[in-house]
Amino acid sequence: MPSGGNGTSNGVANANSTGNAGTSGNVPIYKPYRHLKTLEGHTAAISCVKFSNDGNLLASASVDKTMILWSATNYSLIHRYEGHSSGISDLAWSSDSHYTCSASDDCTLRIWDARSPYECLKVLRGHTNFVFCVNFNPPSNLIVSGSFDETIRIWEVKTGKCVRMIKAHSMPISSVHFNRDGSLIVSASHDGSCKIWDAKEGTCLKTLIDDKSPAVSFAKFSPNGKFILVATLDSTLKLSNYATGKFLKVYTGHTNKVFCITSAFSVTNGKYIVSGSEDNCVYLWDLQARNILQRLEGHTDAVISVSCHPVQNEISSSGNHLDKTIRIWKQDA
Amino acid sequence: MNAPIIDPLQGDFPEVIEEYLEHGVIKCVAFNHRGSLLAAGCADGGCVIWDFETRGIAKEIRDNDCSAAITSVSWSKYGHRLLVSAADKSLTLWDVSTGEKIARTILQQTPLQARLNPGLSSPSLCLACPLSSAPMIVDFDIDCTTLLPVSVPEMPDVLAPPQRSKCPESNPPFSPAAACFNKCGDLVYIGNSKGEILIVDYKSVRVLALVSASGAAPVKNIVFSRNGQYLLTNSHDRTIRIYENLLPAKNVLKSLEDLGKNIDGLDGIEKMKTVGSKCLTLFREFQDSVTKMHWKAPCFSGDGEWVVGGSACKGEHKIYIWDRAGHLVKILEGPKEALIDLAWHPVHPIIVSVSLAGLVYIWAKDYTENWSAFAPDFKELEENEEYVEREDEFDLIPETEKVKVLDVNEDEEVDIDTVEKDAFSDSDMSVEELRYLPAEPIPDTNDQQDNLVESIKLIEGQISASPASEEAGQNGHHASSPQAEEMGETRGKRKRKPSEKAMELQAEKAKPLKGSGKTVRAKNRAAFDQETDDSINGGDDDDDAYY
Repeated sequence: MPSGGNGTSNGVANANSTGNAGTSGNVPIYKPYRHLKTLEGHTAAISCVKFSNDGNLLASASVDKTMILWSATNYSLIHRYEGHSSGISDLAWSSDSHYTCSASDDCTLRIWDARSPYECLKVLRGHTNFVFCVNFNPPSNLIVSGSFDETIRIWEVKTGKCVRMIKAHSMPISSVHFNRDGSLIVSASHDGSCKIWDAKEGTCLKTLIDDKSPAVSFAKFSPNGKFILVATLDSTLKLSNYATGKFLKVYTGHTNKVFCITSAFSVTNGKYIVSGSEDNCVYLWDLQARNILQRLEGHTDAVISVSCHPVQNEISSSGNHLDKTIRIWKQDA
Repeated sequence: MNAPIIDPLQGDFPEVIEEYLEHGVIKCVAFNHRGSLLAAGCADGGCVIWDFETRGIAKEIRDNDCSAAITSVSWSKYGHRLLVSAADKSLTLWDVSTGEKIARTILQQTPLQARLNPGLSSPSLCLACPLSSAPMIVDFDIDCTTLLPVSVPEMPDVLAPPQRSKCPESNPPFSPAAACFNKCGDLVYIGNSKGEILIVDYKSVRVLALVSASGAAPVKNIVFSRNGQYLLTNSHDRTIRIYENLLPAKNVLKSLEDLGKNIDGLDGIEKMKTVGSKCLTLFREFQDSVTKMHWKAPCFSGDGEWVVGGSACKGEHKIYIWDRAGHLVKILEGPKEALIDLAWHPVHPIIVSVSLAGLVYIWAKDYTENWSAFAPDFKELEENEEYVEREDEFDLIPETEKVKVLDVNEDEEVDIDTVEKDAFSDSDMSVEELRYLPAEPIPDTNDQQDNLVESIKLIEGQISASPASEEAGQNGHHASSPQAEEMGETRGKRKRKPSEKAMELQAEKAKPLKGSGKTVRAKNRAAFDQETDDSINGGDDDDDAYY
């Protein structure tokens, strides 16, 4: 069994391993993640944290109305973006890592330049209520956003125009995501449904979930675009083959009944599902076996967002308003 | 990628004009390899490249030396280069990413059509079809032009040596010949004024094979399908002919030489005709038997399943679509402007047509509602089926058994990161392809930043006056609260409304239908702009300026 105990000299975080990892001779032995660093800079809950696609930067969005750009090599603070007049709920990176887009309770989205002089390039206006989620498409010429006004909007990056508005759901939209070629959008909503839309025409192609309860808090395509990871507010994560509509994997053990916690696929070393939890931990599951590989402890409030580094075996996680920190976890070499 | 959940009952050819693009007076259009970019040549010598996904202009290319109308545009295989031919007899090769000119040459005649070699990733070799001269190979690297043969002389012994010079001597006048590269770019197929098809090795400037056509009418257009399996010719006898390509995809030159060697006892033209019959076989002929109209810009669909041709009549914008079996499946009628160019999208059922007025019309499938998309277990039936109830259908299921159903397939192995080959698997994956031009946000002006404050006030006013505000209140939201911590705490909670009745549920399902119908039916840009203006995007007009 991998050894537990102190991960770093400061002894702040303990990495405890549970489950059956390592008992089988054929399965590569799971190497635990350990606390590497704690980033402080936000003055309120951190709603989203994301590594850039080239792995050089980390961006965090907060209810304190600001977004911070961090170096992903030494995790120093590079720039604090100010301009939103209300808290920020989500952020997204363009594929070339040159731009970020933030979704805010001031009913706007902003496109920021991730390079000096770190300007706000565009303000996207059109939503009539809090903008809760945002993502770029793979070519990064379009942005999709979901809002409390129950609409999905698609924006053109170059001009900032809203090119499509979809009256998608009957309750606030909690998540939107493009697939790998940008042809589909998956949306999740508090009306208990998860739907797939044609990005070109704005038409509904399939409904994955259509229950009244519980709310669907998160939905995301797998890296190859064939599966969708769906989180519901009954502490359940499911992996679905959306072509057949069947749920192939169910991940449980964490606590997720209140907040829209983001999850992530970790593919750099082994295949894991990573998610935050309302019991102040980050959970890692084995993708295939569905067992909990590790619980990362250290946050002092619910973990709202997690992000996996695209190249290094590192995970970033962000805490709610009693915590207000970003923690970086690194896997043993 | 969409294939698993696209409605299989819908056809896959365009039906209606979805939108039009406007930028000066457009003369010709061409898609890049993946259909993500659309290049167009203008009457004033400029070129514009549209991002076909956003329908916005991604780049403008202009040569200060050229103000004559552009006659054709052609992309290199991986999208890095664009070849432009113009009415001032010029051929210009551009680097698409940088917008810089790579090479330029002036021909003796105006090139009506020019094509880059499709087999090379950074071609400097192209095929040009001038107005009243033989097709020629132009090599920008060595600035050399090679005339290609357009006929086979009766007496091989007196075959004139090929001309190699920067400015070839003018030949005796004759009808223009059409020419195109094959899929890999190692052969040139030429349709001549006798209706024959010549297969030419342009490197040695030799005719390797000859295919005769019935009717002997001059060939106006010659086009390969994208996969290289079919060849299309359009002749002055108003007939479109489809040939099947019998040569293998690779090593065609060797195959042709072998074919020649295996034929004994024949000489000269007869040998070429015999070889030709083993290279191409006439597959289908199309013509409008009622009006006997001439055709304009015929081509294949991206997957080669459909043949499309535009009517060459003046004042008429009609597009005919046949399946390869020969059935006319659709006639698209557009505005009363002559059609001058046509292109089918490489992967989608979209046609782009250019009118004499200089507009680019985009034809796409008409949207029909797919009701089975609105619930997970719905599926459409083509005819009624008698429903047989299961014996235990209405039994109450204990809670523990429900969980088991979900676990049935959980041991199945899941692959989340292997990407299958797509429609472009013929691309060399080691070559970096230019699929998109970077979308750089155009910074807002200061006026727009100031508008932001007013917009926010307006939005906040709306919120306080709208039912959404009450709903937010029920959800524990207070948008105006100055307390950051309270905002954080309350904002994080996502509670649902109480359950609603079935009638209201039905009403909710109708919402996406209404919305989708409204947004999809933007038939032209004017309506689209109107729809955009209806939202709170008043300041966006300034964004229309490009630079």
